[in-house]
Amino acid sequence: MAPKLPPHHSLQHSSTTATAGGQVHDDHDHHPQPRGIMRWLLTTNHKEIGSLYLIFSLIMFFIGGIFALVVRAELFQPGLNLVNPEFFNQMTTMHGLIMVFAAVMPAFTGLANWMIPLQIGAPDMALPRLNNFSFWLLPVAFILLLSTLLMPGGGPNFGWTFYAPLSTTYAPPSTTFFILSLHIAGVSSILGAINIVATILNMRAPGMRMMDMPLFVWTWLITAFLLIAVMPVLAGVITMMLMDINFGTSFFDAAGGGDPVLFQHLFWFFGHPEVYIMILPAFGIVSAIIPCFARKRLFGYASMVYATASIAVLSFLVWAHHMFVVGLPLAAELFFMYTTMLIAVPTGVKVFNWITTLFRGSITFEVPMLFALAFVVLFTIGGFSGLMLAIAPADFQYHDTYFVVAHFHYVLVPGAVFSIMAAVYFWLPKWTGFYPSEVLGKWHFWLSVIGVNLTFFPMHFSGLAGMPRRIPDYALQFADFNLVSSLGAFLFGFSQLIFVWVIIKCVRGGVKAPAKAWDGAEDLEWTVPSPAPLHTFETPPDFKPVQH
Amino acid sequence: MWGVIKSVLAAFFGVQKERQRQHDFEHGKPGVFILVGLLMGVVFVVMIAALAIYLAG
Amino acid sequence: MPVGVTDLSAEIFSLHMTIFWICVVIGLVVFGVMFYSLFKFRRSQGAKSAHFHENTTVEVIWTAVPLLILVGMAVPATATLQKMYDASDAELDVMITGQQWRWRYEYLGEDVAFNSNMSTPRAQIAGEEERGEHYLLEVDEPLVLPINRKVRFLLTADDVIHSWWVPDFAVKQDTIPGFINENWVRINEPGIYRGQCAELCGMDHGFMPIVVHAMEEDDFDDWLAERKEAAEAEAMGVDREWEMAELMERGEQVYGSICASCHQADGGGSPPAFPALAGNQELIDDVDWHTDVVLNGVSGTAMPAFRSNLNPVELAAVVTYSRNAWGNDTGDAVQPAEIVELLE
Repeated sequence: MAPKLPPHHSLQHSSTTATAGGQVHDDHDHHPQPRGIMRWLLTTNHKEIGSLYLIFSLIMFFIGGIFALVVRAELFQPGLNLVNPEFFNQMTTMHGLIMVFAAVMPAFTGLANWMIPLQIGAPDMALPRLNNFSFWLLPVAFILLLSTLLMPGGGPNFGWTFYAPLSTTYAPPSTTFFILSLHIAGVSSILGAINIVATILNMRAPGMRMMDMPLFVWTWLITAFLLIAVMPVLAGVITMMLMDINFGTSFFDAAGGGDPVLFQHLFWFFGHPEVYIMILPAFGIVSAIIPCFARKRLFGYASMVYATASIAVLSFLVWAHHMFVVGLPLAAELFFMYTTMLIAVPTGVKVFNWITTLFRGSITFEVPMLFALAFVVLFTIGGFSGLMLAIAPADFQYHDTYFVVAHFHYVLVPGAVFSIMAAVYFWLPKWTGFYPSEVLGKWHFWLSVIGVNLTFFPMHFSGLAGMPRRIPDYALQFADFNLVSSLGAFLFGFSQLIFVWVIIKCVRGGVKAPAKAWDGAEDLEWTVPSPAPLHTFETPPDFKPVQH
Repeated sequence: MWGVIKSVLAAFFGVQKERQRQHDFEHGKPGVFILVGLLMGVVFVVMIAALAIYLAG
Repeated sequence: MPVGVTDLSAEIFSLHMTIFWICVVIGLVVFGVMFYSLFKFRRSQGAKSAHFHENTTVEVIWTAVPLLILVGMAVPATATLQKMYDASDAELDVMITGQQWRWRYEYLGEDVAFNSNMSTPRAQIAGEEERGEHYLLEVDEPLVLPINRKVRFLLTADDVIHSWWVPDFAVKQDTIPGFINENWVRINEPGIYRGQCAELCGMDHGFMPIVVHAMEEDDFDDWLAERKEAAEAEAMGVDREWEMAELMERGEQVYGSICASCHQADGGGSPPAFPALAGNQELIDDVDWHTDVVLNGVSGTAMPAFRSNLNPVELAAVVTYSRNAWGNDTGDAVQPAEIVELLE
């Protein structure tokens, strides 16, 4: 077995040097290391793989963003001006798929790769080779997915929720490739999740109990369990689609005795936990940043953990609130309305905890803090519209309108995406050894906040005024709202170029950052030098629990 | 046993006294808490379902 | 959101406004405390951080209070939902069928049925003509309903899932192939109410509007009687021999409203999903096969069966039209009587 394996970094080093933080890191490596592209293809180092994940998701964020701008450009004015409806549907679908599966999820996995070992004092992830494999599956999956756009009949055009039978009997021929690419991405997610669970449960520094872990680690642990629980359901449902399309089965085809509603139940049983997979790690990030810049310990650590766990458990009990108008029996409507409303409680607890952390702190407004504060406000607005959507009778009016589009973009863009940006600004000094530019960061922040609100706030109004989602052209009374949304979208899209500029600048140099880059930062990652050397914590750190 | 149920209820509600939490984490068996938690989770779901079915007539 | 023209839509509107104001108040309090803290405890103003990080009482309060608000909200929501689900004692049943990309309305027990297509000209969509007041929200034949009567809708679909939505009625219900959903409405005011398909159903999802013309009860009864007569007259025409020119004229009309959205007005289709009809050798060679496809559809593809959707005259006309238009020139005239035979 051994000779077939790729060369890897040895964990044994003949000479090591103690550094200021009491850490140990290697001066040199005795094995010849692969260079150039092979270094990245074969790397098993959690920091390098973390960087790969982050770079990949940034590229995909721009590709998904371009699709969104095509959509917004078409909707800038009434009429079919730029694209035909067929291509428009492909753009909305691809935008959703790429942003969910290729941008937000890998970004969080990348952050987990980088930060979980550093935060728990582990030398690497528990399963480094698996780690390499789960990353490299992603480019394969998404190149395949993007290539469907060039196939005859076009790419997926049935929405990111791909409801059957539109996605089976009535789908373009490329759908089989779409299914394969989702399978590959799903395998990648499951492997990544297993790795994270194994790392967190087995590799904490001696003395670090579960209730001593930073919240980012906690939220990721729970997220990883969610992933392991629901990705197989997604795999099952797309396999059933595959059978319907290619092997003559009728799982979802009413003409053959199948059930199109079954598809929605299965999809949302995956889909709702998936939504929390994209937000729980964000809670963890914000719970690290706010105490840091308020210079005050997080209020209610234990209740944060409980709230995360109850959100995760409840996420399995609410899936049919996406299906209030499919004709569920009254008892089911009531059940899912009640469980959905309950989610507001733990979510509210989290917001109250963050705000109480700010109360009587000593607050400064660096860029990561700005993004984290914007997260709290704008995510809460998304939470309010979520609460409104939970009221089943009212949902008959909101369902499948731009009100829903506004809701989930508020929780995903100024929610999940802002938290990722906050995390990048927060940990860039640790990754590169330099502070990101404060001036450019503030420009990026303010333009993003203005852009996001200009884009998504008017969507509440167009939805309430009666505009359905996923339409390429609209009645004249929606024109003003759409005009503003489109302008905002372009502002938001182009201001992300500043983000790239900040990152490139920060990698190349700037103000040197010390090991503890922010004066309020407490967790273990701030005890290793900046930039973090390739190998850290080869001897477990001396962990002294703060009384959480 | 009553203590375990009380702690699980507190966890469902999301608020627990720090002293009680310390006590549970140091003296309780995790398996018992997980089992009771699962059972009470099922009870909770059945209660909401029963309420919904009752109201739906 | 419109208040609408039914008791239920008004009730839903008030639920919406209640939850909205609850959110606004909570938002003001929460963000108020947040911005006060951000302003008051700035380090640049010399704020020193305190050390508290737990308070059981406060935590119990802010868990319990939202819980109570939610229970308070759930009570009226449950009551409204119970009313929405009570479709009993309806005085009129209308079957609504979603099709790519039109609606079909059938007055059950009255022998009146028709398709409702968007009537906005393509030239307006392309921006070659001035857009009208009801751009994209106008149809060739609206659904006509009486006011002050409880009308039950039975909703289904022939192909993919659609969703029938009229905001003024607060009725939105998915139409699902193989399922029949129920909903109902009791309109309080006469008028014209507009809505749209609310579930992505393919290419022309954005172009299948709903228009409902709500009439006084007497007017509605007259309208229904008139439609019944017209339907009987057309049924009579089945037995006679039709002229080629007649069939072509009627066929062009049917083709334009039913077939052109996929197979295009010039018969060019959009392969591979929607094959071309112009110059289609299989079609030109085999009239029986062609008729069978139109009547029974092609399973596993987007081609639906039109046997119960169109009457024999319309079926005969549209087959004749597509066999002779765009240079297909087969000279075949399919008679309604032949179709009647095939349908039996």
